[in-house]
Amino acid sequence: MVGETDMANAAPSTAAVQAAAPRRSTLRAALDDHRVVGWGFLLALLAVWEFVVIQAQISPLYLPRPTRVVAVLWQNLAEGGLSTDLGLTLYRIFAGFLIALVTGVLLGVWMAVSKPVKAMADILIAALYPLPKVTLIPLLVIWLGTGGPFMLTISFMGAFFPIVINTVVGVQQCEPGLVLAARDLGANLRQIVLRVLIPSAVPSIFAGIRIGLGISIILVVAAEMVVARDGLGARLFVAGQLLDTELVFAVLLVLAVLGILITKGQDLIDARLGLWRTS
Amino acid sequence: MTSPVVDIRFEDVRLAWPSKAGQPTVALHRMRCAIPAGKVTAIIGPSGCGKSTMLQLARGFLDPSAGEIRFVDRRSGQSAPRPPMATVWQGFNLFPWLTVLDNVAFGLEMGGMPKAERHERAREALAKVDLKGFESKYPRQLSGGMRQRVGIARALVMKPEVLLLDEPFGALDAQTRLVLQEQVAGIVEETGATVLLITHSIEEAILLADTIFVMTARPGRIAREIEVELPKPRTLADLKRPEAAALFEEIYDLLRGEVIRAMTSEGGAQ
Repeated sequence: MVGETDMANAAPSTAAVQAAAPRRSTLRAALDDHRVVGWGFLLALLAVWEFVVIQAQISPLYLPRPTRVVAVLWQNLAEGGLSTDLGLTLYRIFAGFLIALVTGVLLGVWMAVSKPVKAMADILIAALYPLPKVTLIPLLVIWLGTGGPFMLTISFMGAFFPIVINTVVGVQQCEPGLVLAARDLGANLRQIVLRVLIPSAVPSIFAGIRIGLGISIILVVAAEMVVARDGLGARLFVAGQLLDTELVFAVLLVLAVLGILITKGQDLIDARLGLWRTS
Repeated sequence: MTSPVVDIRFEDVRLAWPSKAGQPTVALHRMRCAIPAGKVTAIIGPSGCGKSTMLQLARGFLDPSAGEIRFVDRRSGQSAPRPPMATVWQGFNLFPWLTVLDNVAFGLEMGGMPKAERHERAREALAKVDLKGFESKYPRQLSGGMRQRVGIARALVMKPEVLLLDEPFGALDAQTRLVLQEQVAGIVEETGATVLLITHSIEEAILLADTIFVMTARPGRIAREIEVELPKPRTLADLKRPEAAALFEEIYDLLRGEVIRAMTSEGGAQ
């Protein structure tokens, strides 16, 4: 029993460490905790930043104080329409991403089970995948304008390729024995695809989602900076033009927190997928 | 379950793959044998002699290059359709994303059985292999021996007329293997199914089989057919009886020659 032995090994080793240092101070204990050290360092860094800006009397035009950034952020979220921009950007990212997820997985599975489809799709992917997608912005603007369809397409393009490629790899890496076992148990082709090939590709598909969502975020924000009037990217760009450095920092903070939340969410899903990985 | 009546006959079966060197690789050549209904037949032979190939042929996952696999109703002597079969695999082949219960119910689900009923049957099958209480575990949380018992339950729940055992204990450690071999001997006896057991363990063949086919090195043929006349179900203690020891000697002598032949011909080919 893998799970049990892991726990059995972990428990006595922690106990042994505690026995070796029976009167450890709470400070030492805190320093052992990864998260305490990380957050403590971040807070210290912010405190130094705040202190240096005040002492050296640096103009907020160049480097605003962290507390001011938070205040500006709060104010803009509450009444400056930043929440609308955030919602708009999230909508653009996820709408395109979801379309990419569904179509990417479908095409990926189809490619993995059909040689002609794979041959045709491989050529197109080989041509389009290495192209930096930002370079498509001018062309897409000519075709689609700068409204919703454009944003949807740009976000879709970011996520689609990594998801397709990872789905193909995942399906192709499916243990042949599992397919044989499913056939032995009476599964037809449709059931084999739905109940064996796709589930066994799930970890690989999630790896694709991780990469794809990251690219979608970059593309949408970049596209907003270049062509949009609203959304976080546009807000950032305009704030920069107006030398509103505090707002620039505030938008960056929103983007950073967004990135952290998405990464953490993916980590949570990944932890649940652990049972797929080892068989 | 009504006792099975369909024999499986290999009639001059040849299986060959084209190879780049020009000479095709011949796995089986003029293989002729009958796997009688309701009996346990073990096939034992050196590695690469085409044992597992025979199982795939019987299951219909491979087609012979020449000759045929026939299913014959032994009451009428007429050809019959392929009887329901289920396989227990050396590598377990459990679906890692399904619970033990859903793994066992998988085949019933493919056949469209409603959830409540298939779970009920899966529970019964799990109880038969002493895995009550493990229904909601995932395969990776189980030891090798437990995983293979799930594999056995997953095959038994299909109520197969023919049970195909493809080196079912090959991936297990020696102690687990001993215990499981005895358990399976009992379970197999109880189902009354036709069993085709592929193995390279002589003890395992003697423990489980009514008939043992000893195969030659590639291309595989039957070198000798040996009846095991010890009473069933057998336990490990039975292996110590003089009849069993004599059988062991006989099979070992045959295999030893074949294994050496396989090793030297491999060396010659390279």
